[in-house]
Amino acid sequence: MASTVLVVDDSAMARKMLIRSLPASWDVEVRQASNGVEAMAAYRQGDVDVMFLDLTMPEMDGFQVLESLRAEGLNCLVVVVSADIQPEAQERVRRLGAIAFVKKPVDAEKLGVVLRDYGVAL
Amino acid sequence: MTTALFSEDQRDALQELTNIGMGQAGASVAAVLGEFVQLSVPRILVLKPALIPAALERIVGAEKVTAVRQGFHGDLRGEAVVVFGAAHCRELADLMGYDDSLDEAAERELLLDVSNVLVGACLGGLAEQISAEMGFSAPSLMASEAEVATLLDVSRMDSPCALFVEVNFRLEKRSFACHLVMLLPEDQILVLRDAIDRFLASL
Repeated sequence: MASTVLVVDDSAMARKMLIRSLPASWDVEVRQASNGVEAMAAYRQGDVDVMFLDLTMPEMDGFQVLESLRAEGLNCLVVVVSADIQPEAQERVRRLGAIAFVKKPVDAEKLGVVLRDYGVAL
Repeated sequence: MTTALFSEDQRDALQELTNIGMGQAGASVAAVLGEFVQLSVPRILVLKPALIPAALERIVGAEKVTAVRQGFHGDLRGEAVVVFGAAHCRELADLMGYDDSLDEAAERELLLDVSNVLVGACLGGLAEQISAEMGFSAPSLMASEAEVATLLDVSRMDSPCALFVEVNFRLEKRSFACHLVMLLPEDQILVLRDAIDRFLASL
Protein backbone atom coordinates (compact mmCIF):
# COMPACT_ATOMS: atom_id res chain seq x y z
CA MET A 1 0.00 0.00 0.00
CA ALA A 2 1.27 3.47 -0.83
CA SER A 3 2.53 5.63 2.01
CA THR A 4 1.20 9.16 2.29
CA VAL A 5 3.94 11.74 2.62
CA LEU A 6 3.44 15.41 3.40
CA VAL A 7 6.14 17.78 2.14
CA VAL A 8 6.14 21.02 4.13
CA ASP A 9 8.20 23.95 2.87
CA ASP A 10 7.44 27.57 2.04
CA SER A 11 9.49 27.27 -1.14
CA ALA A 12 7.88 25.52 -4.10
CA MET A 13 11.37 24.83 -5.47
CA ALA A 14 12.48 23.22 -2.21
CA ARG A 15 9.38 20.99 -2.21
CA LYS A 16 10.08 19.97 -5.79
CA MET A 17 13.72 19.20 -4.99
CA LEU A 18 12.72 17.08 -2.00
CA ILE A 19 10.06 15.17 -3.94
CA ARG A 20 12.60 14.40 -6.68
CA SER A 21 15.02 13.12 -4.06
CA LEU A 22 12.60 10.50 -2.70
CA PRO A 23 13.65 6.92 -3.54
CA ALA A 24 12.16 5.96 -6.92
CA SER A 25 11.18 2.54 -5.56
CA TRP A 26 9.09 4.04 -2.76
CA ASP A 27 5.36 3.88 -3.46
CA VAL A 28 4.08 7.22 -2.19
CA GLU A 29 1.22 9.60 -2.48
CA VAL A 30 2.67 13.11 -2.10
CA ARG A 31 0.85 16.01 -0.49
CA GLN A 32 2.26 19.47 0.01
CA ALA A 33 1.93 22.34 2.46
CA SER A 34 3.62 25.73 2.30
CA ASN A 35 3.67 26.65 5.98
CA GLY A 36 3.10 25.17 9.42
CA VAL A 37 -0.57 26.08 9.60
CA GLU A 38 -1.28 24.25 6.34
CA ALA A 39 0.85 21.35 7.53
CA MET A 40 -1.18 20.94 10.73
CA ALA A 41 -4.44 21.12 8.75
CA ALA A 42 -3.19 18.39 6.38
CA TYR A 43 -1.90 16.30 9.30
CA ARG A 44 -5.27 16.46 11.06
CA GLN A 45 -6.90 14.75 8.07
CA GLY A 46 -5.33 11.73 9.69
CA ASP A 47 -3.51 9.64 7.11
CA VAL A 48 -0.02 11.18 6.86
CA ASP A 49 2.65 8.51 7.35
CA VAL A 50 5.80 10.59 6.88
CA MET A 51 6.19 14.36 7.10
CA PHE A 52 9.19 16.14 5.56
CA LEU A 53 9.36 19.37 7.51
CA ASP A 54 11.26 22.60 6.82
CA LEU A 55 12.12 24.73 9.87
CA THR A 56 12.30 28.34 8.63
CA MET A 57 8.79 29.20 7.43
CA PRO A 58 6.33 32.08 7.76
CA GLU A 59 3.06 31.74 9.74
CA MET A 60 4.18 28.77 11.82
CA ASP A 61 7.73 27.43 11.70
CA GLY A 62 8.93 23.85 11.86
CA PHE A 63 9.76 23.95 15.58
CA GLN A 64 6.19 25.05 16.30
CA VAL A 65 4.82 22.29 14.07
CA LEU A 66 6.81 19.71 16.03
CA GLU A 67 5.46 21.10 19.31
CA SER A 68 1.88 20.99 18.01
CA LEU A 69 2.32 17.48 16.68
CA ARG A 70 3.57 16.37 20.06
CA ALA A 71 0.66 18.04 21.85
CA GLU A 72 -1.71 16.19 19.54
CA GLY A 73 -0.04 12.81 20.09
CA LEU A 74 2.49 12.61 17.27
CA ASN A 75 1.17 9.99 14.92
CA CYS A 76 3.54 10.17 11.95
CA LEU A 77 7.27 10.04 11.32
CA VAL A 78 8.86 13.46 10.91
CA VAL A 79 12.05 14.02 8.95
CA VAL A 80 13.27 17.61 9.28
CA VAL A 81 14.74 18.99 6.05
CA SER A 82 16.37 22.32 6.71
CA ALA A 83 19.12 24.77 5.87
CA ASP A 84 19.36 25.63 9.60
CA ILE A 85 22.35 23.38 10.22
CA GLN A 86 23.21 24.57 13.74
CA PRO A 87 23.97 21.50 15.90
CA GLU A 88 21.55 22.98 18.47
CA ALA A 89 18.75 23.03 15.86
CA GLN A 90 19.35 19.37 15.09
CA GLU A 91 19.32 18.43 18.79
CA ARG A 92 16.13 20.40 19.36
CA VAL A 93 14.16 18.76 16.56
CA ARG A 94 15.18 15.33 17.78
CA ARG A 95 14.10 16.21 21.32
CA LEU A 96 10.79 17.36 19.83
CA GLY A 97 10.32 13.97 18.21
CA ALA A 98 11.75 14.17 14.69
CA ILE A 99 13.37 10.89 13.66
CA ALA A 100 16.03 12.50 11.52
CA PHE A 101 17.54 15.72 10.26
CA VAL A 102 18.50 16.11 6.60
CA LYS A 103 20.35 19.23 5.58
CA LYS A 104 19.59 21.30 2.50
CA PRO A 105 20.39 21.09 -0.33
CA VAL A 106 19.06 17.55 -0.05
CA ASP A 107 21.38 14.72 -1.04
CA ALA A 108 19.11 11.98 -2.47
CA GLU A 109 21.47 9.20 -1.40
CA LYS A 110 21.66 10.38 2.20
CA LEU A 111 17.90 10.81 2.31
CA GLY A 112 17.52 7.25 0.99
CA VAL A 113 19.79 5.94 3.75
CA VAL A 114 17.76 7.75 6.42
CA LEU A 115 14.47 6.39 5.08
CA ARG A 116 15.79 2.83 4.80
CA ASP A 117 17.29 3.02 8.31
CA TYR A 118 13.82 3.64 9.66
CA GLY A 119 12.28 1.02 7.40
CA VAL A 120 9.92 3.54 5.82
CA ALA A 121 11.19 2.99 2.27
CA LEU A 122 12.73 0.05 0.46
CA MET B 1 8.06 48.41 -4.56
CA THR B 2 8.26 45.74 -7.22
CA THR B 3 9.79 42.36 -7.85
CA ALA B 4 8.56 42.31 -11.46
CA LEU B 5 12.09 41.62 -12.72
CA PHE B 6 11.65 38.14 -11.31
CA SER B 7 9.00 35.59 -12.13
CA GLU B 8 7.44 33.89 -9.11
CA ASP B 9 9.60 30.79 -9.74
CA GLN B 10 12.78 32.87 -9.92
CA ARG B 11 11.91 34.81 -6.76
CA ASP B 12 11.08 31.59 -4.92
CA ALA B 13 14.37 30.03 -6.07
CA LEU B 14 16.40 33.06 -4.99
CA GLN B 15 14.70 33.03 -1.59
CA GLU B 16 15.45 29.34 -1.10
CA LEU B 17 19.05 29.64 -2.32
CA THR B 18 19.50 32.58 0.07
CA ASN B 19 17.90 30.52 2.82
CA ILE B 20 20.57 27.85 2.36
CA GLY B 21 23.35 30.47 2.50
CA MET B 22 21.70 31.99 5.56
CA GLY B 23 21.64 28.59 7.28
CA GLN B 24 25.39 28.21 6.76
CA ALA B 25 25.99 31.76 8.02
CA GLY B 26 23.75 31.16 11.05
CA ALA B 27 25.67 28.02 11.95
CA SER B 28 29.00 29.84 11.60
CA VAL B 29 27.96 32.74 13.77
CA ALA B 30 26.34 30.39 16.31
CA ALA B 31 29.68 28.62 16.60
CA VAL B 32 31.53 31.93 17.08
CA LEU B 33 29.09 33.30 19.68
CA GLY B 34 28.21 30.03 21.36
CA GLU B 35 24.51 30.89 21.19
CA PHE B 36 21.53 29.59 19.26
CA VAL B 37 20.70 31.85 16.32
CA GLN B 38 17.08 32.31 15.29
CA LEU B 39 16.64 32.52 11.55
CA SER B 40 13.69 33.91 9.65
CA VAL B 41 12.61 33.75 6.02
CA PRO B 42 14.84 35.97 3.84
CA ARG B 43 13.10 38.90 2.19
CA ILE B 44 13.60 39.69 -1.49
CA LEU B 45 12.73 43.12 -2.88
CA VAL B 46 13.51 44.99 -6.06
CA LEU B 47 13.55 48.67 -5.21
CA LYS B 48 14.32 52.04 -6.68
CA PRO B 49 17.52 53.18 -4.91
CA ALA B 50 15.64 56.08 -3.29
CA LEU B 51 13.52 53.55 -1.38
CA ILE B 52 16.47 51.63 0.07
CA PRO B 53 16.85 53.81 3.21
CA ALA B 54 13.19 53.22 4.07
CA ALA B 55 13.64 49.48 3.57
CA LEU B 56 16.63 49.53 5.95
CA GLU B 57 14.68 51.56 8.47
CA ARG B 58 11.88 49.01 8.36
CA ILE B 59 14.36 46.37 9.53
CA VAL B 60 16.01 48.20 12.41
CA GLY B 61 13.44 50.82 13.36
CA ALA B 62 14.47 54.24 14.59
CA GLU B 63 17.51 53.14 16.58
CA LYS B 64 21.00 54.24 15.61
CA VAL B 65 23.07 51.68 13.81
CA THR B 66 26.61 50.64 13.20
CA ALA B 67 27.23 49.09 9.82
CA VAL B 68 29.92 47.21 7.96
CA ARG B 69 30.12 47.01 4.19
CA GLN B 70 31.82 44.40 2.09
CA GLY B 71 31.96 44.41 -1.69
CA PHE B 72 31.87 41.28 -3.81
CA HIS B 73 32.98 40.81 -7.36
CA GLY B 74 33.52 38.11 -9.95
CA ASP B 75 30.52 36.44 -11.59
CA LEU B 76 28.30 38.66 -9.44
CA ARG B 77 29.14 42.19 -8.38
CA GLY B 78 27.49 44.09 -5.57
CA GLU B 79 27.68 45.04 -1.98
CA ALA B 80 26.79 43.41 1.30
CA VAL B 81 25.95 45.55 4.30
CA VAL B 82 25.75 44.15 7.82
CA VAL B 83 23.72 46.37 10.13
CA PHE B 84 23.95 46.19 13.92
CA GLY B 85 21.85 48.17 16.36
CA ALA B 86 24.34 50.45 18.15
CA ALA B 87 23.52 48.96 21.56
CA HIS B 88 24.26 45.53 20.17
CA CYS B 89 27.90 46.26 19.51
CA ARG B 90 28.72 46.28 23.22
CA GLU B 91 26.67 43.15 23.63
CA LEU B 92 28.73 41.47 20.97
CA ALA B 93 31.92 42.10 22.93
CA ASP B 94 30.20 40.74 26.04
CA LEU B 95 29.05 37.64 24.15
CA MET B 96 32.58 37.00 23.03
CA GLY B 97 33.69 37.08 26.64
CA TYR B 98 35.49 40.42 26.58
CA ASP B 99 35.17 42.73 29.55
CA ASP B 100 34.66 46.49 29.51
CA SER B 101 38.32 47.12 28.80
CA LEU B 102 37.83 46.40 25.11
CA ASP B 103 38.87 49.59 23.35
CA GLU B 104 37.22 51.08 20.30
CA ALA B 105 39.69 49.59 17.85
CA ALA B 106 39.27 46.09 19.26
CA GLU B 107 35.49 46.47 19.23
CA ARG B 108 35.61 47.54 15.60
CA GLU B 109 37.82 44.57 14.79
CA LEU B 110 35.25 42.29 16.35
CA LEU B 111 32.41 43.77 14.26
CA LEU B 112 34.43 43.36 11.10
CA ASP B 113 35.22 39.74 11.96
CA VAL B 114 31.59 38.82 12.65
CA SER B 115 30.45 40.60 9.48
CA ASN B 116 33.08 38.81 7.46
CA VAL B 117 31.91 35.43 8.74
CA LEU B 118 28.27 36.24 7.96
CA VAL B 119 28.87 37.62 4.50
CA GLY B 120 31.34 34.92 3.48
CA ALA B 121 29.06 32.07 4.58
CA CYS B 122 25.78 33.55 3.36
CA LEU B 123 26.88 34.82 -0.04
CA GLY B 124 29.40 32.04 -0.46
CA GLY B 125 26.63 29.50 0.15
CA LEU B 126 24.39 31.20 -2.39
CA ALA B 127 27.18 31.49 -4.99
CA GLU B 128 28.21 27.87 -4.61
CA GLN B 129 24.75 26.61 -5.51
CA ILE B 130 24.51 28.65 -8.68
CA SER B 131 28.14 27.85 -9.55
CA ALA B 132 29.17 31.50 -9.39
CA GLU B 133 32.77 32.40 -8.59
CA MET B 134 32.88 35.31 -6.22
CA GLY B 135 35.60 37.22 -4.40
CA PHE B 136 35.14 39.53 -1.43
CA SER B 137 36.82 42.79 -0.56
CA ALA B 138 37.93 43.38 3.02
CA PRO B 139 35.06 44.47 5.29
CA SER B 140 35.09 48.11 6.33
CA LEU B 141 33.18 50.11 8.89
CA MET B 142 30.78 52.38 7.00
CA ALA B 143 29.08 54.10 9.90
CA SER B 144 29.12 54.07 13.66
CA GLU B 145 26.08 55.00 15.73
CA ALA B 146 24.51 56.70 12.74
CA GLU B 147 20.95 57.32 11.63
CA VAL B 148 19.93 54.44 9.39
CA ALA B 149 18.64 56.85 6.74
CA THR B 150 22.16 58.25 6.26
CA LEU B 151 23.90 54.89 5.84
CA LEU B 152 23.91 54.75 2.08
CA ASP B 153 24.25 57.66 -0.26
CA VAL B 154 21.57 56.47 -2.66
CA SER B 155 21.88 59.58 -4.80
CA ARG B 156 25.18 58.14 -6.03
CA MET B 157 23.55 54.93 -7.23
CA ASP B 158 22.90 55.28 -10.93
CA SER B 159 21.07 51.98 -11.32
CA PRO B 160 17.33 52.39 -11.98
CA CYS B 161 16.61 49.64 -9.48
CA ALA B 162 18.42 47.43 -7.04
CA LEU B 163 17.91 43.97 -5.61
CA PHE B 164 17.57 44.11 -1.84
CA VAL B 165 17.94 40.78 -0.06
CA GLU B 166 17.41 40.90 3.69
CA VAL B 167 18.58 38.20 6.07
CA ASN B 168 18.04 38.53 9.83
CA PHE B 169 19.95 36.86 12.63
CA ARG B 170 18.65 37.06 16.19
CA LEU B 171 19.80 35.45 19.38
CA GLU B 172 17.16 33.70 21.37
CA LYS B 173 18.48 34.49 24.84
CA ARG B 174 19.77 38.00 24.19
CA SER B 175 18.49 41.08 22.47
CA PHE B 176 21.39 40.91 20.01
CA ALA B 177 20.39 40.99 16.37
CA CYS B 178 22.08 41.85 13.12
CA HIS B 179 20.90 42.09 9.57
CA LEU B 180 22.63 41.30 6.33
CA VAL B 181 21.50 43.16 3.25
CA MET B 182 22.76 42.19 -0.17
CA LEU B 183 22.47 44.91 -2.80
CA LEU B 184 22.81 44.30 -6.52
CA PRO B 185 22.48 46.92 -9.27
CA GLU B 186 20.11 46.24 -12.16
CA ASP B 187 22.66 44.82 -14.62
CA GLN B 188 23.73 42.32 -11.97
CA ILE B 189 20.11 41.40 -11.25
CA LEU B 190 19.94 40.19 -14.85
CA VAL B 191 23.15 38.17 -14.39
CA LEU B 192 21.74 36.62 -11.23
CA ARG B 193 18.44 35.90 -12.96
CA ASP B 194 20.24 34.01 -15.73
CA ALA B 195 22.19 32.01 -13.15
CA ILE B 196 18.95 31.14 -11.35
CA ASP B 197 17.41 30.04 -14.65
CA ARG B 198 20.37 27.75 -15.32
CA PHE B 199 20.05 26.35 -11.81
CA LEU B 200 16.30 25.73 -12.24
CA ALA B 201 16.88 24.10 -15.64
CA SER B 202 19.40 21.73 -14.06
CA LEU B 203 16.88 20.40 -11.52
